[in-house]
Amino acid sequence: MNGADLPSMLPEMLPRLWAFALRISGDRHDAEDLVQRACLRALERAHQLQPDTAPLSWMFSIVHSTWINELRARSVRKRSSMEWDDDFLENIADPVDKGPETQLMHGQIISAVERLPEAQRVVMLLVAVEGLSYQEAADVLEVPIGTVMSRLSRARQAVGAQFGTHEPKSKASATRKDSIA
Amino acid sequence: MKTDEITLMAYVDGELPLDQRHEVEEHIRASAEAAELVELLKASRVDYQGAFATQNLPPVPDSLTQKIEAMARAHAAPSAVNDSAMPAPATAPVRSRMRSVPAWLAAACVAGAFCGGLFLRLGPLLDHGASSSMASSNLSPWVQAATGYQKLYTRDTLAYVSETPETSSKTVDDIRREDGLALRIPDLRNAGLTFKTVQRLRFNNKPLVQIVYQPEKGEPVALCVMKDVKPDQAVAGQDVDSMRVVTWRQAELSYALIGKPAGVDLNALGKQISNREVEQLFSDATSATQPKASAS
Repeated sequence: MNGADLPSMLPEMLPRLWAFALRISGDRHDAEDLVQRACLRALERAHQLQPDTAPLSWMFSIVHSTWINELRARSVRKRSSMEWDDDFLENIADPVDKGPETQLMHGQIISAVERLPEAQRVVMLLVAVEGLSYQEAADVLEVPIGTVMSRLSRARQAVGAQFGTHEPKSKASATRKDSIA
Repeated sequence: MKTDEITLMAYVDGELPLDQRHEVEEHIRASAEAAELVELLKASRVDYQGAFATQNLPPVPDSLTQKIEAMARAHAAPSAVNDSAMPAPATAPVRSRMRSVPAWLAAACVAGAFCGGLFLRLGPLLDHGASSSMASSNLSPWVQAATGYQKLYTRDTLAYVSETPETSSKTVDDIRREDGLALRIPDLRNAGLTFKTVQRLRFNNKPLVQIVYQPEKGEPVALCVMKDVKPDQAVAGQDVDSMRVVTWRQAELSYALIGKPAGVDLNALGKQISNREVEQLFSDATSATQPKASAS
């Protein structure tokens, strides 16, 4: 697996790049622009893709750095989840297979992650949602692995706190217990 | 001894070896703060992937899929690319918000090709520019390609070009020596067109030169040149997709002057260029401009 294979892999990766771009930018127009720019950058420097680097992680890295540069260019410090495009923030979908409690839980998880500070939110998206290893996330974000773990721990404390305080006795605590095992 | 939050997270996730695990448990029993942290981290062990999998995201836009596929083809192995000089015209509408993107794309491709010393393969980019009306015109395929490409070129595109007289001169030199094209770069200042850049592109694996000029107002004008051994042909113009395309053939070179009419008579300009009634730029390497084709 190397850079020469990238052109053939990009179309297949597109749905995940799209979802990631949407989630970090919070705007479908920005996401479309972002994915295009990231793919072009990647293709232009495909020779830099190392055989031991997962192409998807590498693409996430380029999407992320492209977005950071864009934010810097716009001098936007931080996006709050309130600014998000409501159209795709219908957190609860797929009501067919899931019971209302699961749906509620899923909606709460997504909201909790979205409320995190930006640096923690991106780490959560990469590790908890996209399934990257700590090291891969560190490579994507170009920070030490300890920083990734620290941000992740902080993020999870915040998420844990939200579940604990919102529903101290009912479903949340039961789920919490179940999930300890 | 304070157990840090990273270790506690590893403990909660069951990632610690047994001995360290016991150590942490001892610490938790002794420290209310650590115990609270562990509770929070345990509470955070929820199904993130499952939750986000149900998030109702909009699907990948068709326009984006098409663009990425076009880009991927453009960067795929040359043998796969050169066969696709005229792919089927794309019909996806471009939203107003995204109108700047193709221009940016074109600029970036050109910049990438130029800076990297590579050639831009023109065919696949036609996905954005070719149209059925163009395909039904009597323009030769390379002129159709160049016209489609030129439609992506805007003043914004030129803003990305950082070319110096030295780099242009080097490019002209390379075109003359490596591509074997006896190229003149017409100086069109008298017609209100300022030389901006000269690019070495490729069409069907053959050199294609694009010389771009900027008018005082309106979109850039390009003079594109390819080798063509057919007999000379007089200057003739036609309108294709809101672009004026003026073509002629002279001394085994085919020319296409392409732009949107905006105060410049491209037909007249084409005649002036073909009659050599205009000065040329980068003439310091003129000795190398004798047509090689006619010498053989």
